[in-house]
Amino acid sequence: MLDSPCLRPPRLAAWLVELFTSADQAECILGDLAEEFSDLASRSGVVSARRWYWRQSAKTIAHLAGAGFRVAPWSLAGVVLLGFLLERFSFALPERVIVAILRTQRPYSNLHYHFYVWLVTYGISIARVLQTVLIGCIVATFAKGREIVATTTLCIASRPLSVLLFFLLTGGHWPKFILPWPFLIIQVENLIGLVIGGGSVHEFRSVVARRFSRT
Amino acid sequence: MREYVGEFEHIVLLAVLRLGDQAYGVTVRREIEARTRREVSIGAIYATLDRLEAKGYVQSRVGGPTAERGGRSKRFFRVTAQGVSAVNRTHRALRSLTEGLDLLRNRT
Repeated sequence: MLDSPCLRPPRLAAWLVELFTSADQAECILGDLAEEFSDLASRSGVVSARRWYWRQSAKTIAHLAGAGFRVAPWSLAGVVLLGFLLERFSFALPERVIVAILRTQRPYSNLHYHFYVWLVTYGISIARVLQTVLIGCIVATFAKGREIVATTTLCIASRPLSVLLFFLLTGGHWPKFILPWPFLIIQVENLIGLVIGGGSVHEFRSVVARRFSRT
Repeated sequence: MREYVGEFEHIVLLAVLRLGDQAYGVTVRREIEARTRREVSIGAIYATLDRLEAKGYVQSRVGGPTAERGGRSKRFFRVTAQGVSAVNRTHRALRSLTEGLDLLRNRT
């Protein structure tokens, strides 16, 4: 029934549902959704079945995320707090590492000048994304089975808190030497990095669980 | 302490009881929709069933994969004796609370 590509459920919706479920749960939830999709597609057409699949997926994600909060909320809060502290205390680390490299290697004084310019222009941004991916991985490792719930909670909780702290520290005035757009870009980079980290750990665990279930 | 089941937990337990050994996500969802005319998501069903399983009110087993499910397995549920007691307890409490109330006459 699901062999034809147009009769397959929307891949993106299925992937999003999978992100919020453990490997065992994903197997039966996606199976149930596929069974109902197949039945609905043969009765009411593929367009209607796809619409139904997306609606069900959104509701399912909302319920699973809600359940993720309700089950052991304190451990989730602890993991989110750990992520927040890691973010705060390692915030300046990428700059420090890059400045240390520049000091020891002195690339501007030799033929690696272009590398020096690249490192100063893009290196810090790339290092910051890698740093948040790593923090996302650490948070997801501790939030077993709730990787995406924990990392998205950290994103939602820490961004407004960071902006609020920033305003409090600057006395409610945006300093002229900090441009708003780069500041916002850094925040978005951090969000993406955290979710990528959480998603990577989730994918790794799912692959391992699938391999174990086959053997 | 005697535990009662919540409204949706109650509905899910009754649906699983009605379906017997054919109770899995799709059939439970359809049973609830057909009898309560309330649209429910698969996620809500599984979140509730997982909670009921943790309380010891239902047990689950994994069935074989089928082609119509894209080669994925079904997870069948059955209500345990503890679950049946919880349903009965909740029913008795509701019956006792509604006793003497003329609900049909007072309906607006």
